[in-house]
Amino acid sequence: MSGVRRRTSPRDSAPARPPIRFGDDPLLWASWLYYQEGMTQGEIAEEMGASRPTVNAYLADARARGIVNIAISSEHMRSVTLARALEDQFGLESCLVVPSHGGARSLIDKVGHAAAGILPMMVHSGDTLAITWGRTMLSMAQAARLDGLRDVTVVQATGGTTAKIPYSPESCATRLADNIGARCVPISAPAIVSSAQARNMLVQEPVIAEQLTYLSRLDRVVFGVSSLRPNSTIHSSGFFDSALQQHDFYVSAVGSLAGQFMDAQGAPVTGPLSDRFIGLSLDELRRVPSRMLVAAGVDKVQPILASLRGGYVTTLVIDSDTAAGILRTLDVRLSRYISSSRDKPDTPPDETTEAPTRNLVKKFLNDPRDVVNEAMEGALAAFPDHIMAIDDSVRAIGARTPRPQGKVGVVIGGGAGHEPAFLGFVGQGLADAVAVGNVFASPPPDRILTCTRFADQGAGVLYVYGNYTGDVMNFDMASDLAAAEGINVRTIRTTDDVASSGFEDRDARRGTAGNVFVFKVAGAASARMEPLAEVERLTRKANAACHTIGVALEPCSMPETRRPSFVLGAQDLEFGVGVHGEPGVQRQKLAAADRIMDEVCDQLFTAMKLGTGQRVAVLVNSLGGTPMIELMVLNRRLQQRLNACGAQAHMTLVGHYCTSLDMVGASITLMALDEELAALLDAPCDGFAWTRNAVMKQA
Amino acid sequence: MAQIDKHFFADVFHLATARLEDSRQMLCRLDGEIGDGDHGTSMANGFAAIDRVLRGHPDAEPPEMLRLAAQAFLAEVGATVGPLYASAFLEVAALLDARGPLPLREFGAVLSACATGIAQRGKAQPGDKTMLDVWLPAAQAAHRAARDDLPPARMATLTRNAAETARDETAALMSTRGRAARLQERSIGHLDPGAVSSAVIIGAICDIVAERAT
Repeated sequence: MSGVRRRTSPRDSAPARPPIRFGDDPLLWASWLYYQEGMTQGEIAEEMGASRPTVNAYLADARARGIVNIAISSEHMRSVTLARALEDQFGLESCLVVPSHGGARSLIDKVGHAAAGILPMMVHSGDTLAITWGRTMLSMAQAARLDGLRDVTVVQATGGTTAKIPYSPESCATRLADNIGARCVPISAPAIVSSAQARNMLVQEPVIAEQLTYLSRLDRVVFGVSSLRPNSTIHSSGFFDSALQQHDFYVSAVGSLAGQFMDAQGAPVTGPLSDRFIGLSLDELRRVPSRMLVAAGVDKVQPILASLRGGYVTTLVIDSDTAAGILRTLDVRLSRYISSSRDKPDTPPDETTEAPTRNLVKKFLNDPRDVVNEAMEGALAAFPDHIMAIDDSVRAIGARTPRPQGKVGVVIGGGAGHEPAFLGFVGQGLADAVAVGNVFASPPPDRILTCTRFADQGAGVLYVYGNYTGDVMNFDMASDLAAAEGINVRTIRTTDDVASSGFEDRDARRGTAGNVFVFKVAGAASARMEPLAEVERLTRKANAACHTIGVALEPCSMPETRRPSFVLGAQDLEFGVGVHGEPGVQRQKLAAADRIMDEVCDQLFTAMKLGTGQRVAVLVNSLGGTPMIELMVLNRRLQQRLNACGAQAHMTLVGHYCTSLDMVGASITLMALDEELAALLDAPCDGFAWTRNAVMKQA
Repeated sequence: MAQIDKHFFADVFHLATARLEDSRQMLCRLDGEIGDGDHGTSMANGFAAIDRVLRGHPDAEPPEMLRLAAQAFLAEVGATVGPLYASAFLEVAALLDARGPLPLREFGAVLSACATGIAQRGKAQPGDKTMLDVWLPAAQAAHRAARDDLPPARMATLTRNAAETARDETAALMSTRGRAARLQERSIGHLDPGAVSSAVIIGAICDIVAERAT
């Protein structure tokens, strides 16, 4: 600690008085100097004019009386808690959990190095130790250092592989043996050979037979586990390439351990490879006295759990997120959901107890199953100049405005619950028709087809809708049906939700409030009588220019359940929410509006590489429960940030545009504009949720 | 030997409808944790629509029944499950067109056809934490039980158990499909609602198999 400063207190032998701020409390004074100023006990004794033993007693007393609390950083504390829980749950001898986050090392290296760190406690002179293969094993082997041991033997746990991977069985064993001064015993055969016959011949070869005997007298084994997920290294390992083609056979396998497959309970899954395998069998592995599994990554929750259930592990080294995932998984009981259901109370309903209805959200409802139809009837009655029912259902809704021959039709749609989206964006200069699904559920293909026929004026139809699994399937089916009727359909899936992409690409993102701008551009382009390919191009460009982030303060509640769709603590907000009441990408502490907006801006500006001179369209959108006044507060900070960045808001919309029922929260959409897109946004339009007259703007 | 005939399908749809209605709130609650909370509504309303349509066509033969079911379910719910179950039912219809009435002990073929329809439409892989993660192992368990020449009641028990185990296993998986994919690792520790409703439907199929076997 650099800030050690000498006080100018008199250095006579009489005890010095503490500075006033310590309130005459020597314990507090001593603690401050020790823990805050970093002084030694000797220095403190001098400063206080007391003996060292006295200072020592002060410090002990300070802890006993709670003046000083020793806190372990919450991330490390969590690791210890998780480790204890896993030890208890699976009767492990020991478990080491390393924090998943923080530090410069990769996740694999974190657990690899941690495992290397406990090898000295595990390996002793005279031991025979086997190691499997993989990235984690290699990382551990590279970090391992052991001095002063004698007669240690490291054995390759399985035969080798032909693939050119740095973490092959051969390299893992060799590296570990080198680094701990052990003798290395390879297995001079492939892990998987071409036939059972070949295997039986090979294991009788004197050299190989001799090597294999080591595997039957192991004291320790260190192993990794791999998932069978598409991103797993097992697919590039050269071990099973042909076998995984026959994945049908291994459908119950959830992971691979020492080159063999196991099911979710850890039982070996036998198949065509089983009698062609050379190495430590799962049964033999389980008989080794000390067995350490080293694994990292939440995609391995299932195979790690299988290894634990199968009794393969005595010592576990794992990262904290994965450990937490395992414990959450164990905690899941379907009965939890059934027992918490109050729809069929076990006890007769009692008029005097309010408890069962307390957590129900109040709503204006008749029969909740009728909510969408009734809402559409209400909308049709409210806006007869804008929208009309296309057929006798009220779920296929078209624009009142004339549709000239040769105009490209624009069909939008999605689930209900986003009002005024999507039907508020049907009208002149906007969409021609909208298909309305159930709450948060895609409309079915036949309804979309009805809208398609209505919108088609011989020039083809463009579908514009949010990129959700259900919508994609239903609209694609409708598109096939329309094609069979000779209607040319093109599709744009909106993908403006920045937070939903994760590490995936833009195509995996969802469509949220940015829909509004994309609909507008599609409608304006079609109103100009552009051909289908041009309308499609402009709409695609509009989608690529839109970036949205949503923040929720309270969850929404479905009409049928009237219960919050997820639970958000009193001081929490959910960052990166979509528009379906689904939880967001990250839970955070509630903060001042400007600070929340700053984080939104940081992410949006970065995502769209916003810079000086850039023109943008802005949409500050309520997710349903947030009032206009708060949206305006958000917009204030947003415009400040745009100014600071040198960007200019060409157009700003503030209000309820694309909601998520009664969710409290807001989404911010920025659309990067060039001349072409700006002109299309400026064009007049007339939907009941967005009316824009021809503007006379100075250039 | 009992057959997979039109009474079999009528009973299955009827029982599944009742069970899904009972599970409506539970499925919505599960879906709310990692999705958008509408799964119970979609499944219960969708099967209710099937049941209604089938009661209006008492003379329909099995392939026709399954086409009606596909149409009714899809038109009622849309959503994600609409196309998936519609494809599953159409695949079963195609199977019955090709093979005619099946003996009861081949109900694994019906489960496999459902799995195929779902996989083709949804493009999910095993382990993606979807309903496929229940349909596939259940179908496999039924086929294995048939190979082992077990009596149909025992086959039904093993298949139901496999479906329930697979359902619980989805908690260990990370969502990569649908709305839950947004949660990434936060989805671990939650059951997949589509897997839970799949186990309900498979449970109904198994119960009818067991009932007809006696």
